[in-house]
Amino acid sequence: MAKPFKSTRRGITGALEPGEARLLGALLDDVISMLEPESAPSEDPLAALVGMSGADAEATAPEDSAVRRLLPDAVRGDDDEALAFRRLTERSLREQKIGALRSSALLLESSPMTLTGEQARLLAQALNDVRLVLADRLSIETEEDAERLHDIADSKDVDDVESYLALVYNFITWLQESLVQAMLKAAKLER
Amino acid sequence: MAIMTVGFATGTDTQEETGTAEKTDLDQPWVVVVWNDPVNLMSYVSFVFQSYFGYSEAKARTLMLEVHEQGRSAVVSGTREKVEQDTVALHSYGLWATFEKAGSE
Repeated sequence: MAKPFKSTRRGITGALEPGEARLLGALLDDVISMLEPESAPSEDPLAALVGMSGADAEATAPEDSAVRRLLPDAVRGDDDEALAFRRLTERSLREQKIGALRSSALLLESSPMTLTGEQARLLAQALNDVRLVLADRLSIETEEDAERLHDIADSKDVDDVESYLALVYNFITWLQESLVQAMLKAAKLER
Repeated sequence: MAIMTVGFATGTDTQEETGTAEKTDLDQPWVVVVWNDPVNLMSYVSFVFQSYFGYSEAKARTLMLEVHEQGRSAVVSGTREKVEQDTVALHSYGLWATFEKAGSE
């Protein structure tokens, strides 16, 4: 079992079992492939340079509900406005998220991990994105939904795909909570 | 309310261009709203409010609880350009955020 993250004088430390690191690495890769733009980069070099590629100019709200949760509408109740904003910003948001997910996959390759504040922040963002995707697949829409799955904490509780996903979700929740607590403690010490 | 942007290098320089940097909150009619969802951890939301906006632990906690208990909270106000930037930054953290005109709820 993984050790909880801790704030130490050297940085934020944590350690995963090899199997846990492999599983998490695979999930990070899954989320990266969900976020990679579907169409080829723009042929217009100037548009590509300023981040307004052809793909972005034609962006629509993602069909996959998990991707839509990762890249939500920035305006409520006005689809045209939301779409116009998405076309200006979605590509760089995708790239930012992919960057955090890739960095996190690299961090997981060492065990134990010793993280700087910036690395810890990227890992917390990446774990959050993985949880958002798993929550969508588990149809967690209310706090009651989340509580219902909360008891699945051991492989003995697993008897189908859903309970396996719930076990993984609960593990990553625990991991993210311990990371955030360590970050909050480190931030307090800095003040 | 002081608006501080910490943690993202691109945060603060653009306000001057809009000529509104001198004005108070009352003159800044846009807000960023964070919506409750069952996935984001309360500790994580507090962390994001502290590290991105530079809010105190107490203020971050108050806003986080407002999101949790009331379903939404206007967490920062400013020019349209500023709230657009903050909304995208909160999306990068995975928070469910939108921007709107102040008082349009």
